[in-house]
Amino acid sequence: MITVSDITSSYGNKKILKGASFTAQRGECIAIVGANGCGKSTLLSVLAGTLKPRSGEVLYYGRKAWSDSDTGRMHADMEVIRGMTGYVPQENPLIPELTVYDNLRLWYSDKKKLKQELEHGFLNLLGVNEFSSKQVSKLSGGMKKRVSIGIAMAGMPPVLLLDEPSAALDLVCKEDIRRYLQVYLERKGTVVITTHEESELDMCNKVYVMKNGQLNQVDRRLRGEALVKMF
Amino acid sequence: MRQKMRYLYVEIKKMIGVFPHMLLQAIMLMILIGAIAFCGAKTMEKEPLAVRADIGVVVREDNTMTRLALGYVENLESASQVCHFVQMTEDEGIRSLEDGGIAALIILPEQLVEGIMNGANPSVEVYFPENAGLEAMLLRELTESGAGLLRVAQAQIYGAYDTAVEYGLTERLSVMEGEIDSYNLAFALDRLAVYREETVSATGKLSIIQFYAASGVILFLLLTGMAVYPVVQREPQAFRKQLARQGTGEAWQCFCKWLCGFLCMGLLGLIAWAALKAAGIFAPEMAEKLTSMLAGGRNGSHVGIQVGVVLLIVITAATLIYLIYSLAGSRSGAVLVIFLLSVVMIYLSGGLVPSMFLPKVMQTIGDKLPTAYMIRAVGGILTGYQADTLKQCVIGMCCYAVVFGAVSYWLRRRD
Repeated sequence: MITVSDITSSYGNKKILKGASFTAQRGECIAIVGANGCGKSTLLSVLAGTLKPRSGEVLYYGRKAWSDSDTGRMHADMEVIRGMTGYVPQENPLIPELTVYDNLRLWYSDKKKLKQELEHGFLNLLGVNEFSSKQVSKLSGGMKKRVSIGIAMAGMPPVLLLDEPSAALDLVCKEDIRRYLQVYLERKGTVVITTHEESELDMCNKVYVMKNGQLNQVDRRLRGEALVKMF
Repeated sequence: MRQKMRYLYVEIKKMIGVFPHMLLQAIMLMILIGAIAFCGAKTMEKEPLAVRADIGVVVREDNTMTRLALGYVENLESASQVCHFVQMTEDEGIRSLEDGGIAALIILPEQLVEGIMNGANPSVEVYFPENAGLEAMLLRELTESGAGLLRVAQAQIYGAYDTAVEYGLTERLSVMEGEIDSYNLAFALDRLAVYREETVSATGKLSIIQFYAASGVILFLLLTGMAVYPVVQREPQAFRKQLARQGTGEAWQCFCKWLCGFLCMGLLGLIAWAALKAAGIFAPEMAEKLTSMLAGGRNGSHVGIQVGVVLLIVITAATLIYLIYSLAGSRSGAVLVIFLLSVVMIYLSGGLVPSMFLPKVMQTIGDKLPTAYMIRAVGGILTGYQADTLKQCVIGMCCYAVVFGAVSYWLRRRD
């Protein structure tokens, strides 16, 4: 379970998040939508532990990931964040000069486990095993995104954070990723996804609109103009 | 820690993967530098002396004796190689001196030869332009040497005369003067005795070959920096943040990148050295000649010190290259900066033209540049180290490496 309470964050004097809060249960998919630059990626960075918030609290399964320390400064428990979350940023965190396997090797501490995942596990489900010996620079955008998800899944975290995973991908890739996420959700994983794709909202249990640095839950069936009006 | 070591392993693997491309670029670079060095060596072989000065001569009294004396001086080997005497009037001479048409003006007084013979010794006036160039500097040295010789010769004659009178040996005076004359003439006619020997070199005691070998090595090392882009480039922010999330902080990431850059540059240098050695197998005579030229004056530094200094040179060069890649926004920008900065720094450090021929400001700046310490350090390997020079080079390179490293880290962290 994820509990996010009153997260505030700013770049210099500009306040980006002004008390964003939401909760998510096991097996739930949470979508965060909103206009470009409204703070969706900032919130995901905070949840992934790559950006320090000004205030607020983040709990993963009851364990504090971000909290106020005694000195009043925000403190991150990176062990909790690392163990509980897998993060797929917008840019693919890959080394183009190396093969897919070498890239995966960087994030998978256990060589055996990596092999298993490629043969029967999530990496196999993502289809990464089909091109694991290829150099990353020769992969398509969809293949790279699948490898990025595979990297985030190293250690099998119970929470997956995805920052616009379908951006600039073709329909086949989008469908592949959506299918994979369905399987992950069926296995009681929790997904927090920021997106501009309406098709991705179909698999979400809750939809939040990010507006003025705050999250407002909206009807998950809203689409098109009705949804945009909420931005 | 395992994650950190895995990252280092991955970076080294990447380095091995891209190394053949870097090697290819380094080979092209070596061919280019080799061609320049070859052309330079050929030019130096053909033109041993590039400076020949026009000297204006004013003869106030044109008689046979003066003409003979002037002809004698003009045809001396030492003078004919560096001077070309042009007879002119006094007005023409002063005008030419002001225009820069001649490097010096010599005015020979009346009764010059007779004055020398009878001991009156009339003064020969020599004028140099205010902003003396290389030719004038050379001529001034020659004139001062010649005047010094004359002073000594005169002192010998007067000393011999006084001694002969004191001991009542005046009848033997002509024999003594004859011996003094033949000694001084033999001395004056020996071309080498006229020159004050001083090695003109950026590092003081290096030969020309050693001098250019030292600066060539540093130039090559810095230019190999153009090839190491794939291993020292900044990874995308997403990748760096993902690494930091997993416990591999920015400092370790910087260190790994720098280490790979250092290894690449070191390896490329090592391969270049091995290639030269291998070339020596096919052309042993040339290799032997080159080795003897490079090793001339070696006083045998400890091998351990030499290896340590080489490592420090590569560390300093790799850190400088790393800083440039941290500063530059793109690969093309970085490559351009590396090329320009390397050439300019080598020039200011006296690696292309000995620094004593550069303006004072350039000399002062160039002397403190990292390339100056690196060239001096390579020179030390070729000729043997003096404790002071070694200490200065080591401290200089260490300081630069630390500063470059700290600034690079700060830049990459800020991004």
